[in-house]
Amino acid sequence: MNKLKLNYTSLSFLPILVCIPLGYQLINNIHFGGFKLFQEFLISAFNPKIDNEIIITVIKRLNETILIGFFSWLVSIIFGAIFGIISSNIFYKIFNIPNFFYRIIRFFLTIIRSIHEVVWGILLMQIYGINFSIGIIAICIPYIAVNSKVFAEQLENIDYRSFESINQINAPKFSSLLTLIWNPIINTFKNFGLYRLECSIRSTVILGLFGIGGIGTSIYLSFQTLNFRDLWTYLWSLAILIILSGLIFKKIKFNTTNKILSIFFIAVFFLTILFSFSYFLYFIFNSNFENFNSVSSQFNSSSDLGLFNFLKLILETIILSLLSTGIAISLPPLVIGIFNNNTSKIFIKIFAFLLRLIPTPVILLTLLFFNNPSVSLAALTLGLHNAGITSKLLFTNLESQDKRNYIAMKSLGISKKTSWLLGLFSQQAKSYLAYCAYRSDIIVRETAIVGVIGSVGLGWQLQESLSSFAWQEVTIVLIAYSSIAIVGELINGKIKNSLT
Amino acid sequence: MNNTVLELKNISFKYKNDLILNKINLKINSGEKIALLGKSGSGKTTLISVLNGTIKPTQGEVKLFNKNFEELDRKQKSKITTIWQDLRLIEDLSAEQNVNCGLLAENNFYFAFKNLLNISSFKKAHKYMKLCRLHNSIYNKKIRELSGGQKQRVAIARSLIQGSNILFADEPFNNLDPKLITTIKNLMLDRFDKNNIKKSPKTALVALHRLDFLNDFDKVIGIRDGKIFFNIKKNNLKKIHLDKIY
Repeated sequence: MNKLKLNYTSLSFLPILVCIPLGYQLINNIHFGGFKLFQEFLISAFNPKIDNEIIITVIKRLNETILIGFFSWLVSIIFGAIFGIISSNIFYKIFNIPNFFYRIIRFFLTIIRSIHEVVWGILLMQIYGINFSIGIIAICIPYIAVNSKVFAEQLENIDYRSFESINQINAPKFSSLLTLIWNPIINTFKNFGLYRLECSIRSTVILGLFGIGGIGTSIYLSFQTLNFRDLWTYLWSLAILIILSGLIFKKIKFNTTNKILSIFFIAVFFLTILFSFSYFLYFIFNSNFENFNSVSSQFNSSSDLGLFNFLKLILETIILSLLSTGIAISLPPLVIGIFNNNTSKIFIKIFAFLLRLIPTPVILLTLLFFNNPSVSLAALTLGLHNAGITSKLLFTNLESQDKRNYIAMKSLGISKKTSWLLGLFSQQAKSYLAYCAYRSDIIVRETAIVGVIGSVGLGWQLQESLSSFAWQEVTIVLIAYSSIAIVGELINGKIKNSLT
Repeated sequence: MNNTVLELKNISFKYKNDLILNKINLKINSGEKIALLGKSGSGKTTLISVLNGTIKPTQGEVKLFNKNFEELDRKQKSKITTIWQDLRLIEDLSAEQNVNCGLLAENNFYFAFKNLLNISSFKKAHKYMKLCRLHNSIYNKKIRELSGGQKQRVAIARSLIQGSNILFADEPFNNLDPKLITTIKNLMLDRFDKNNIKKSPKTALVALHRLDFLNDFDKVIGIRDGKIFFNIKKNNLKKIHLDKIY
């Protein structure tokens, strides 16, 4: 009997097995109470409301979203680069600083990024109240840590021999550091900047759903009042914003050989640092501390969270992460492989774009038209949203890949699907899985959002504890959250290392 | 008068369980041009790495200007320059930016910044690139776009622009055609008449494979299995010596 051989290609499809328990629970929880509403939701997508009043609201809300999204992006990418440098081993090698500090900074950044921006947002809102600045700060805190990881990884790829040769010139340490890191930093910014800008805008929208402001707040309010036409106006305007920001970013040439442009970028760099510091100090010293005092006074509050319930919530969060990751990994190659023709590809791309565009809480609320809240439903939501992201990457990679193998296989009379699988996808499977390992880090953190809306896992408990000002519970939940995310990151890091 | 610039005392270097250098004693005097001969894997590159301070020996002492390496300040260390066998250029930088890297030691941070932004003066870099027979069409090209020979000459130009007193070179004539070899050899060994470079290295230790180049050197060192088998004047070199190391 032939043994099942696991290779990168089969490993990409294997996680789809999560659909068995997921489907079972979803079928058991099915209801058709919201069918009419869903029909209305779909029709509204093609008939969004367009009048003066809503256009003015859209402009106003988009303005807020752009401001929060852009500033949080700018600050987080610049500080991400700075923290990336001081958390990369090249910095410690050049300055001969003991590795002990390197580990401390890395650990600190890992904890910071293990908590989702929504959690930071909710937490800061409870302390400082609803405030425009909260949105920027809530996004910046984890994003600086996330960006720093990306920058640090790129800096650690610097050829050790280049380091040795520059070191041997015995230049001033800062000159050596700058010469070595300059291009990796610029290249990371070029390759990664646009994606992070998109992420910042999405995070602003999600924070908006929790009341920070911007288009997200309008999306949530229109969904709550079932004004689907308004909802789609907001969603399409958000789509235009994301597409436009991508086009503008691509138009800007980060050409470091252009003197005027270089000086402009350096000015932006230093002004952002200066502005962020002064704003941070202003925020700290001018905010109303009454709320903060109430936090510290209620820190003594006792926790009603039982051990069994707490463990159950942790388990739910882990299951939620695993199920969502399974969908996010396997669904894109499966769908692209099965519907492998040009027309289907266009539909898949549009559907994937919508999955990325529509904030996860809205996807979840839409799915609630047919299903009761459950872990499976939350996992499906998170899985679909992330499948939208992984499918974009897969499409991009497949399109830029050499197609000679695929053409050769087809010319041998092998079916189109098999040729796609063996001639195209199999060559991408390894790098695709490596990206999915990185993506699963984000999925673990995102369980907080669907948890809050979908009444599952630690996210839900966090919302409950925050609403009742049970700060001891909040601390416990945050520690648990952070621990799951850190363990997840460690496991994914090992997987990613073995794949790259 | 003691004019020893570099001294190795009982140097050994172990990598994992392999003894790469075995109790090496060596003195290099100011102004000496030394050829280092040996088979591939005999320990030539490791010896150069120990000499220029890139790797610390497992055992023994390295003295530069009668001081231990750790006691030297940055300026003193910058008196050494190395042309590596694998060149060690920064692939993402242009040829002229890489050559300018050789000037980092004598300039401040602002120079490094200007070099990366391409707003630095490249006059000196261009002069050295010209001396190394590099055409100005490649000045702005990234290293990865250059041929093996062009890369080799960029690495040599970067090393020479440092104006160091001591040069270590690990098979620097690879990838060069015969005509270029003569030019580069003269540049490296201070025998250039026209457009003379004022600060060409006084002392040089060059790892070689080609024996027809030995005329340009004062001394020859033969190394095998991490041990120095002979350290003699060039005129005293005989076939028997070479048989010991090849």
